[in-house]
Amino acid sequence: MSPRRVLAFTKRTLLQFRHDRRTLAFVLAMPLLMVALFGYTFGGEVKGVKVQVLNADVGMFAPVNFTLPLNLEVNVGNGIVANLNYETLTISNVTDAAAARQDVDKGVVWAAIIIPEGFTRDIATALLNQSAPRPSIEVYIDGSNPNIAAAVFKSVNTALAAALQEAVSAIGGRNASLPASVEPVYAYGGGDTKFVDYFAPGVISFAIMMVTTMITIILFVNERKNGTLQRLMASPASEWEIVTGYALAFGLIGLVQSVVILTAAMLLFNIQIVGNVVLALAVIMLIAFGHQGLGILMSAGAKNELQAVQFVPLILFPSVLLAGLFWPVESIPAYLQPLAYLIPLRYGIDAERSIMLRGWGVGEVWLDLAVLVGFAALTLCASALLLKRRR
Amino acid sequence: MSEKQGREDAVIVEGLSKHFGKVKALDNLSIRVPAGEVYGLLGPNGSGKTTAIKIACGLLRQTSGRVELFGQSRPDKKVLAQVGYMPQETAVYMDNTVHENLALFGQLYGLDRERFARREAEVLRFVDLSGWRGALASNLSGGMRHRLSLACSLVHEPRLIFLDEPTVGVDPELRAAFWEYFREIANRGVTVVITTHYMDEASHCFRVGLLRQGRLVAEGAPEQLKRSTGAASLEDAFLAYARGDGQ
Ligand SMILES: Nc1ncnc2c1ncn2[C@@H]1O[C@H](COP(=O)(O)OP(=O)(O)OP(=O)(O)O)[C@@H](O)[C@H]1O
Ligand SMILES: [Mg+2]
Repeated sequence: MSPRRVLAFTKRTLLQFRHDRRTLAFVLAMPLLMVALFGYTFGGEVKGVKVQVLNADVGMFAPVNFTLPLNLEVNVGNGIVANLNYETLTISNVTDAAAARQDVDKGVVWAAIIIPEGFTRDIATALLNQSAPRPSIEVYIDGSNPNIAAAVFKSVNTALAAALQEAVSAIGGRNASLPASVEPVYAYGGGDTKFVDYFAPGVISFAIMMVTTMITIILFVNERKNGTLQRLMASPASEWEIVTGYALAFGLIGLVQSVVILTAAMLLFNIQIVGNVVLALAVIMLIAFGHQGLGILMSAGAKNELQAVQFVPLILFPSVLLAGLFWPVESIPAYLQPLAYLIPLRYGIDAERSIMLRGWGVGEVWLDLAVLVGFAALTLCASALLLKRRR
Repeated sequence: MSEKQGREDAVIVEGLSKHFGKVKALDNLSIRVPAGEVYGLLGPNGSGKTTAIKIACGLLRQTSGRVELFGQSRPDKKVLAQVGYMPQETAVYMDNTVHENLALFGQLYGLDRERFARREAEVLRFVDLSGWRGALASNLSGGMRHRLSLACSLVHEPRLIFLDEPTVGVDPELRAAFWEYFREIANRGVTVVITTHYMDEASHCFRVGLLRQGRLVAEGAPEQLKRSTGAASLEDAFLAYARGDGQ
């Protein structure tokens, strides 16, 4: 393999992008737009979430074994309602639990917060007797938007802690460990609560995948259609040199893209990268390499740009839905999960997330890396062999 | 050079057949082109000219038969580096400039900076695009693009050139210049295999081969073909052969 010939391909491809400003704009603006869209849609402060509150708590009079007048009434349920965040939540009080749950099912409200009748009493019992069952508040919630769900839980948990503290200090106690809990019941969706941080690595990986695959397909369809590929094949350049040259070009483009996205994500949405940035960028390159190979393979199945564009949904939907872009793979239906493990992007997203959010290193993400390296090697080799094939 | 220049065969095609499904694009074709010759492949649309050239350049696999370039049936990189190929389609990178297109092929064929600079100037002057070096190919006219495509196949000074209809869409003045150039480089030992539909042009070839339905129906120097059919022009000679074979 001659480095000169490889670089000749890389250089030509990069120069093409320099002249084709629109495509260049697409390459850089598309991921930025995605980050901005996702960031503002899911990353902003949650306000005015409609919820219904059913406070059935009858309260109790402070128990005799506390050194206080018997007539002090304590009602933790009322305390919770008072302490809910009225900016985050728009609250209506109801009395029928079944109707409230139905409203959640119908999408009228996001959640029904149901405080049971004996809540205060049961807390008192649990405080005195460790083995007594811990009472709980039911939050019947539409979890389809993890960000909203998280905001509701946060508000209820904070209110519960505050109300308990108030009740305990009212009867002269000190710190109370929480003997009560919030029990989430999901009407829809799962319980991922760190959505804001969650989306950035996924969007970056996804954008690299989309741009690389799409542009490679179109470039190679054009190479075939215009006859330039024949010209390359008639030259001393080998298929491996062609594929490597393009891979380098797309690796570099992916690098520039991810630097732009990362900078935007950090400036606009305060996303923190705890892990090794170099490793994160290396994973980006691997994603680009693999999908470039995939693009060349797919280009063989398209005769023109129109047919090439038809591949978009084919690669778009599985990646969006199954690769863990919006929700973790664990939260998709069990029968679809094996499918998710077949999508290479999943490993890219997983690795990026682990590196950027958890600060993991090669030692922890080696499996993802191995899959990505394998995928890249497989598709690049296959595409070189495909180019080698003569009819 | 160790070879007996001008005498050895640059291209040997023997019993070449190519079937696309039921279509016999080439049917037992045999041609020899000695080094330093301008050889014209003539024939109606679909007679197999492009197919023959593609097989010779290793872009298609023949169904049967044999092709040798400079004595090699599976040309290695060294031989490929001395071969030029201009496809029938205008095969240039539209979103690159004239210079970038030429630079790619210069690098692929291993020209160093100095030699490339000299050759680029030469071929650009030859195809009359010197003033367009920095222009995007997509901004050139159709004929100009075709000239760029020709320039790309000549930039590395090949010893053997396959040109698939290089003069299509090129204006008459430049076309005459092209043919003059082809004959000139042939006299310096370069072998040129060329396809064309323009019969008047074909008389510039040292020898021509007439293809019909994948078969060679006549071969010889243009004058010789005219004489043997008693035709006034090569076109008439060609029609005579075409009819003769058809009946
Ligand atoms: N890829 C292909 N698949 C199927 N058939 C093909 C293919 N390429 C060529 N053919 C057929 O082979 C025959 C010869 O085609 P070829 O392109 O060699 O003709 P040609 O002499 O170059 O014609 P033209 O003067 O129009 O360029 C035609 O009948 C054509 O339909
Ligand atoms: Mg043709």
